[in-house]
Amino acid sequence: MSLLKVENVTKRFGGLVAVDDMSFEIGHGELMAIVGPNGAGKTTMFNLINGVFPADEGRIIFEDVDVTNYPAYKRAHLGIGRTFQIARPFASATVQENIAIGGMFGAAGSEINVDEAMELADHYIDLIGLKPHRDKPAGGLTPIEKKLVEIARALAMKPRLLLMDEAMAGMNPKDIDEMVAFIREIRDTEGIAIVALVEHIMRAVAGLTERVIVMHQGALLVDEPTQVALTDPRVIEVYLGRPPEETHAEG
Amino acid sequence: MMRPVKTYYPILPVIISYGVLFGIGIMVPGKWQLVSQLAFYCALGQAFNLFMGMTGYVDFGYVAFMGVGTYGMAVSIYYLYDKGLGLGLIVIGLILAAVFSTLLSLAVGAVALRLRGAYFAIATIGVNEGFRFLIEGARIWNGADGMIFYRHLKTAFGKQTAMALSTMWADVMVFGVAVLAAVLTLIYMRNKVGYALTALREDEDAAKVMGINVTKYKLTAFITSAILAGLLGASAWALKLTYVYPEDVFEIHYTVEAIIIVLLGGAGTLLGPLVGGLIYGVSKYYLSIVLPGFQLLIFAPIIIAIIVLFPEGTVGIFKKRIFGTPLEKYII
Repeated sequence: MSLLKVENVTKRFGGLVAVDDMSFEIGHGELMAIVGPNGAGKTTMFNLINGVFPADEGRIIFEDVDVTNYPAYKRAHLGIGRTFQIARPFASATVQENIAIGGMFGAAGSEINVDEAMELADHYIDLIGLKPHRDKPAGGLTPIEKKLVEIARALAMKPRLLLMDEAMAGMNPKDIDEMVAFIREIRDTEGIAIVALVEHIMRAVAGLTERVIVMHQGALLVDEPTQVALTDPRVIEVYLGRPPEETHAEG
Repeated sequence: MMRPVKTYYPILPVIISYGVLFGIGIMVPGKWQLVSQLAFYCALGQAFNLFMGMTGYVDFGYVAFMGVGTYGMAVSIYYLYDKGLGLGLIVIGLILAAVFSTLLSLAVGAVALRLRGAYFAIATIGVNEGFRFLIEGARIWNGADGMIFYRHLKTAFGKQTAMALSTMWADVMVFGVAVLAAVLTLIYMRNKVGYALTALREDEDAAKVMGINVTKYKLTAFITSAILAGLLGASAWALKLTYVYPEDVFEIHYTVEAIIIVLLGGAGTLLGPLVGGLIYGVSKYYLSIVLPGFQLLIFAPIIIAIIVLFPEGTVGIFKKRIFGTPLEKYII
């Protein structure tokens, strides 16, 4: 049984077909990436999976539940977590409160009270190494710290599927390697499936994922194991324009 | 140091302040009018803050909830005064005020809370004006002629009690509404609803993705705040003045005062509306003595200056000052 099934999903914005008849599956505990050039429809695909807006056609099935018409908050309760491309922590709330909010309202939310959520937050604050910032408002953190808070907040939701939108955009190679190691560790310790959405940082894709879906103009181009996908001539042609090895320097 | 996240200490300064204010009103001769006016502004701010401060939504039609609350009390006294209900008359009035404001807030919230920012504000202005014209045009509860019910109050309670109700107990009830609003605010802050409201105030889309049913929590704050406004209208206007005219109670001026009070004190803080209400009430009172007729002209730039210089309000500034000190656990 797969964790998530996307069946023939289409999303249009006026005349623009942002996501065009996409079908794929994600397994339990899988670590994969959706890649594609700017405008390929990756973020729209994410928004469809976690319910920011509904699909025009097709079905989305999460753990055998048809969630196609579920609002975002209900999908979160079922175990779909999400981080944003530009980190969006709740600025006036402290780091601890931010992460606790994930615990309070996420998949485990109905069983967790405020105190327990705060304890859970402390656990994840240790994990991301932001203990000195625990009681500071999240609005004052650096961009990378905000990103970490957002990941911790999503983890506190106890998701079974975590969608990470451009978790590594704007980072230098050293930070990317650290983030890759961190995401792998999360997958192993929390046992959740992680889908990373990556525009052009092939260093991250190659180091992080086992499988890659390449999107192009809203449609699925390739769905293969990472090494196969990144050397596929179609991918190189429409997306990279040159072999992936040479793009390492871009990171 | 473990940061106190779940304590109810911050209610202490609020209760003490209202106690002192009440004491001044009782002890110092001739100050009861000023004190009751201050209590009204504090209660108005405290009730309004529960929605505006905690959600970030600005309801320009807020006074409509006070208006229907006023009518709740008025209807009870006007139509049931000869039924021998005793103080039950007041209780029914308060219940009607709560019911009317709940119904109106449900109707408004179901539609307007789908809108955000300026669209929400504009839609709610329409509610207030619309309701006033509905009462006047459809001649509901005497329409524009209003309801005058001091005679009814006197028949029901006798002259002495009727007088005490309108000159004393109505103001005491205003204090009660202020304290109730503060207590509810703190209870919300300490529970999931408060965290949900913080999240949706900061970023509504991110809040949804976090699993927060934003509509449910917005509506919760909206209805709670509306009921408090209804009770305030029933006490400070209906019972105190013993008459009600639609053009008096559906007056947008009071909504603007509520916004100013909340911003002066600090939106989303517990103590802010109290501080804002006192600053606003005292300066309005003394400016009208020192410069009668010019008070608004002087007042406007002062308010603009304060809001520009201290966007977090007086309590917001104070909170930053005391961060990490023992005082911290008493002030939010």
